[in-house]
Amino acid sequence: MTMQNQSQSPWGKKKGPPTPEDLIAALLKKIKDSFEGGGDEGNPSRPGGTGEAMGFGAGVAKVLSVVGALLVLNILASSFYTIAPGERGVILRLGRIQSVAEPGLNFKLPLVDSLIKVDVETVRKEEFGFRTKSPGQKTVYEKAGFKAESLVLTGDKNVIDVEWIVQYKVQDPINFLFKVKDTAQAVRDVSEKAIRRVLGNQDFDYSLQNREVIEMSMVKDLQKTLDSYESGIKIVTVKLQDVNPPEAVKPAFNEVNEADQDMKRLVNEAEENYNRVIPKAKGSAKQILEEAHGYATERVNLAKGETTRFLNILEEYKGAKDVTRRRMYLETMQKVLPKVEAVYVVDGGQPSILPLLDLGKTIPQASAKPAVSQ
Amino acid sequence: MQKVIRTAVVGLVCVLALTAWNSFYVVPEGFQAVVTQFGAPIGEPVVVAGPHLKTPFIQEVTFFDKKILIWDGDPNQIPTKDKTFVYVDVTARWRISNALVFLQAVKTEARAQTILDDVVDSTVRDMVNKNNLVEMIRSSDWIMSEGAGTRGDEEPIVMGRDKLTDVIHKTASESMVKYGIELVDVMFKRVNYIDTVQGKVFERMISERKRIAAEKRSQGEGQKAEILGKVDRELRNITSSARQEAEQIKGKADAEAARIYADAFNKDPEFYTFFKTLESYEQTIGSNTRLVVPSDSEFYRYLNALQ
Repeated sequence: MTMQNQSQSPWGKKKGPPTPEDLIAALLKKIKDSFEGGGDEGNPSRPGGTGEAMGFGAGVAKVLSVVGALLVLNILASSFYTIAPGERGVILRLGRIQSVAEPGLNFKLPLVDSLIKVDVETVRKEEFGFRTKSPGQKTVYEKAGFKAESLVLTGDKNVIDVEWIVQYKVQDPINFLFKVKDTAQAVRDVSEKAIRRVLGNQDFDYSLQNREVIEMSMVKDLQKTLDSYESGIKIVTVKLQDVNPPEAVKPAFNEVNEADQDMKRLVNEAEENYNRVIPKAKGSAKQILEEAHGYATERVNLAKGETTRFLNILEEYKGAKDVTRRRMYLETMQKVLPKVEAVYVVDGGQPSILPLLDLGKTIPQASAKPAVSQ
Repeated sequence: MQKVIRTAVVGLVCVLALTAWNSFYVVPEGFQAVVTQFGAPIGEPVVVAGPHLKTPFIQEVTFFDKKILIWDGDPNQIPTKDKTFVYVDVTARWRISNALVFLQAVKTEARAQTILDDVVDSTVRDMVNKNNLVEMIRSSDWIMSEGAGTRGDEEPIVMGRDKLTDVIHKTASESMVKYGIELVDVMFKRVNYIDTVQGKVFERMISERKRIAAEKRSQGEGQKAEILGKVDRELRNITSSARQEAEQIKGKADAEAARIYADAFNKDPEFYTFFKTLESYEQTIGSNTRLVVPSDSEFYRYLNALQ
């Protein structure tokens, strides 16, 4: 049996300090030995009742000593404890606060000291108006059924739908443990009071647009109340998640947004019209001016040209008035007469011919008519 | 004999140990204790945590919480003074301030909650009844917001939420003293309209938004019309001033031309007339022209001469 036990351990007796398994194995062996030894002694000799009692008593004593040793060991082991970073250990000696243990390995008196660990670093969170159902990459929220929590009356007696979170941590572990029962519920209650107090002081429209102001005044309000309880809680932050009009009113709000867009669209349309018309008109105005300038230049130039020609001819005409006159007249007739359709020569003494002329008719008819009537 | 003595010794040790164990008790941090002897309280309540002595066996110790406890009222439907039905959810913090009185008058925390239900709820009901809704919404330090007066539906507040809860707190506190209970504070956790009223409020909010939307649309139309008007005005302005300038330029040029003509033609008006007449014949007499010439005119004479 012994050999078997030892052979199971590959290191044998070379190892200096015994491992817990070795210790237990040794203890078990001792206990077995003591019982077996007693039996061995009793069976062959059978010395009588006293001998048996003595053997039994010795056995009980041995068991008790082993149990005692175990107990002492356990107690000694339990008087050492570690406090993780971000934790504090509150030590109570017979129910009374003794000390607060910092992170690391610590010692407490066995039996009379008890330890309560408090996490002072982790930021705790309370959610209002929604609950996180399953956190993850795409966190699922549950939003239905928290209307009583999230609907808040604003100062102008309107209703607003708010979802928010409050983050806090333990600042004073002793106060946190012993001053307020159910601190989480206290934080919830005070938060609900605080948001209604803050929003109750503001108009609806203001509340929709000024989240930071609300958050800041809530932190102040919350901290003040929780301090008055000596709750040992420090508010880290208050974050408004969603500040919305209530579901039933949302379409009307969207309509306002649409109207806003419409307004901008109408103005844009008008400005588009302006931009389309006015620059073009400015261009046309310039065109008119340019044309006027062109006309002016042309007019003056023509006048100058014409007069120059006239003056030149006049110069020549002065030299030989009569001849020039005749020549000019004849030249003109030469040019004009071939183009003319008909020439009527009317005698000064016969004025009656004029009414017969049908000036409105076309040429062939006009020329035919006088022929018929005459 | 030895056996008997041993048993007796063991028994005695046990009894002594039990007596010693029973003669002291530990009050944990955050708790307080009242020592009673056959039901009758002995001495003052023990509020200091730690080990304490007592008479073994005949004295009993009852422990009570020393922490601040929560009471949460049942949400109640209460009409306000201005006849609006609201749900009021009130919560309070309380603690056992006198454990002795508490033990005698209340005994358990559960019963304390019931007493708080009765006292605080009725006080709240009273105060809500006597006040307008705004008193529960706005704080005592609420200041009328800018532009609030223009809507005309602003009611000045008399007390405000803080003072109202103060009054409730004070009134309820007075009747809690006899139970050994101290009310730390009372607060309106939630004040909401009841469903039917809420529907009406939503309708009002919707109509308000519709009004704003209509205003915005009309504003847009107005601005558009204004801009279009501006377009028309500027267009007329640009075109007409261009015309004006153009006419001026043309007029000046005409005048200039006239001056040039006059200067030249004044040198021999008679020849000019002749010259111009010939020129105009050339230009005015075209292919569709019938010429009527009096026989005694100069033209005829010339024509005859040519023939």
